[in-house]
Amino acid sequence: MKLIRMTLSGASALALLVAAAAAHAAPPAGRLLAAQCAQCHGTNGQAVSGMEKLAGESEGEIYKELLEMKARIKPDEIMHRQAAGYTDAQIRLIARYFATGGKTSTTTVSTSTSSTTTTGTSSRSRSRNDN
Amino acid sequence: MMISHNRRKILQASGALAAATSVPLMARAQAAAPRVVVIGAGFAGATLAKYVRMWNPAIQVTLIEPNPTHVSCILSNLVMTGALGMSTITLRYDNLRNKYGVKLVADRAVAIDSVNRIVTTQTGNRIAYDKLVLAPGIDFDAVPGLDTAVLPHAWQAGPQTLALKAQLDAVPAGGTFVMSIPPAPYRCPPGPYERACLLADTLLRRRRAGRVIVLDANNDVVAEPHTFHTAFQTTYASVIDYRPSSVVTSVDWANKTIHTNWGPIRADAANIIPPQKAGKMVVAAGLLGTNPATRWAPVNPLSYESTVVPNIHVIGDSQGTGQPKSGHMANSQAKVCADALIRYFAGEAPDPAPMTNSACYSPITSTTASWLTVVFGYDAASGLMKPVPNTLAEAPTPSGDHYEDMFGWANNLFADSFS
Ligand SMILES: Cc1cc2nc3c(=O)[nH]c(=O)nc-3n(C[C@H](O)[C@H](O)[C@H](O)COP(=O)(O)OP(=O)(O)OC[C@H]3O[C@@H](n4cnc5c(N)ncnc54)[C@H](O)[C@@H]3O)c2cc1C
Repeated sequence: MKLIRMTLSGASALALLVAAAAAHAAPPAGRLLAAQCAQCHGTNGQAVSGMEKLAGESEGEIYKELLEMKARIKPDEIMHRQAAGYTDAQIRLIARYFATGGKTSTTTVSTSTSSTTTTGTSSRSRSRNDN
Repeated sequence: MMISHNRRKILQASGALAAATSVPLMARAQAAAPRVVVIGAGFAGATLAKYVRMWNPAIQVTLIEPNPTHVSCILSNLVMTGALGMSTITLRYDNLRNKYGVKLVADRAVAIDSVNRIVTTQTGNRIAYDKLVLAPGIDFDAVPGLDTAVLPHAWQAGPQTLALKAQLDAVPAGGTFVMSIPPAPYRCPPGPYERACLLADTLLRRRRAGRVIVLDANNDVVAEPHTFHTAFQTTYASVIDYRPSSVVTSVDWANKTIHTNWGPIRADAANIIPPQKAGKMVVAAGLLGTNPATRWAPVNPLSYESTVVPNIHVIGDSQGTGQPKSGHMANSQAKVCADALIRYFAGEAPDPAPMTNSACYSPITSTTASWLTVVFGYDAASGLMKPVPNTLAEAPTPSGDHYEDMFGWANNLFADSFS
């Protein structure tokens, strides 16, 4: 009986410590910037409809596309204006965040998200690249 | 302000206030989970609550909101025309509660004690906070003679949206619809012009041969000037009579008369949108400071913390950074604030270079839409959020493609904010 109580209090103390530690976790790089894409492209890049999914696209792909957009702004493309808002370094952070699902390592792309690369790409959003 | 000035002084003198705000965060967090309390579950408050919990579930979030659902202003002009039903713009809070563990309190905040950090609600509930986020949207100036129960502004969506639809549906053939636009800044810069277009489009499609007189308190179209000047001068030239620098001074609806700085105007139906200011709780908490001309809460754009009262943050339409008052922008600011709160509880300074953005789609006819977009970045030299060069733009022409994209954009914005 006594032992169980001790274990429990030990466990709850641990839970408290874990909560306290979690409360002190600093945000991963790029997360706040990437979150600014979610208004149109869905929370964590998982668009619900009509817009391109960004989750699981490769870092290189997102980076290259955004740089192309801001280099040649087409007046009728809202996304080109958005791309123009960010520095190359910021775009790199955003691309890396979506490619890795927020994990800081850039070498391992999570396999669970890599399968979604093309599923969310609508024909209209793909067409913006033929410039 | 609910706390007495004396009490605050005594606390300050004794150093209690200083101690309360500077107690090492480690101590607090170890004692219990940090507590964030949010007032208002519109685009700003809902996004804030969701993102704090999604990014750091160790932080407790309590969201105070009297309404059981949020009725979105976004797309509400299409409910006015009958193109959409209310269900499309009615957003539920279930996911905030079930998916993210936000504690919802169905009540109205009525008082804030910023010294002891307690919010009191209408039912007498007292809720303690470490950080308070105010997201109460907007409040209105009174317009002499205007009874919004009779003449709805419909600048907050809900029953008024349907009341405005009823006004529009009742315009007699050849009748005159008068609408007014308040001085900027107000909620949704292109919104009133969009509404004018859709009123005109509806009258045209119904072959009512009516007129829409647009009284603009501003000296020119506030947003998307190319789009709306073109719409007023060509698409709707036979219907819309646009009158800049026209201020509604009073309303005498018993005689169906709108009084303006240019004289009285007779109307069959009317939509008077009153001048706007920060939501009531912002004023109640003393966040506007002492200058009576201040209408929006001054905040530090790195964290949206009030520059007047510590540990109270203001996001969405109520804040006064000069960024446009849109739902998209409210969502954007909420993320910057959520990130800053998380860093604060981790003992860190806010991100020194936050970015925000807005993208609004406006229906121009029943089949076409325009868009308006901008990206803001923090300017360290001035301490202000400033539009990034080349990002502020309107669509060159309204189109059916944009009309279609509007629904994709709205669905994602709704989901990112509320579910
Ligand atoms: C016709 C129209 C069209 C628009 N179109 C667009 C568009 O296309 N795109 C776009 O981005 N924006 C658009 N907007 C603007 C957008 O609706 C607002 O900018 C947005 O709603 C602001 O969000 P908010 O959270 O600050 O305020 P709100 O959404 O108004 O939310 C405030 C919430 O706080 C609650 N509240 C207030 N006081 C208290 C209290 N004391 N206690 C508890 N809760 C309280 C309210 O009940 C409400 O739910 C449009 C607006 C209008 C009127």
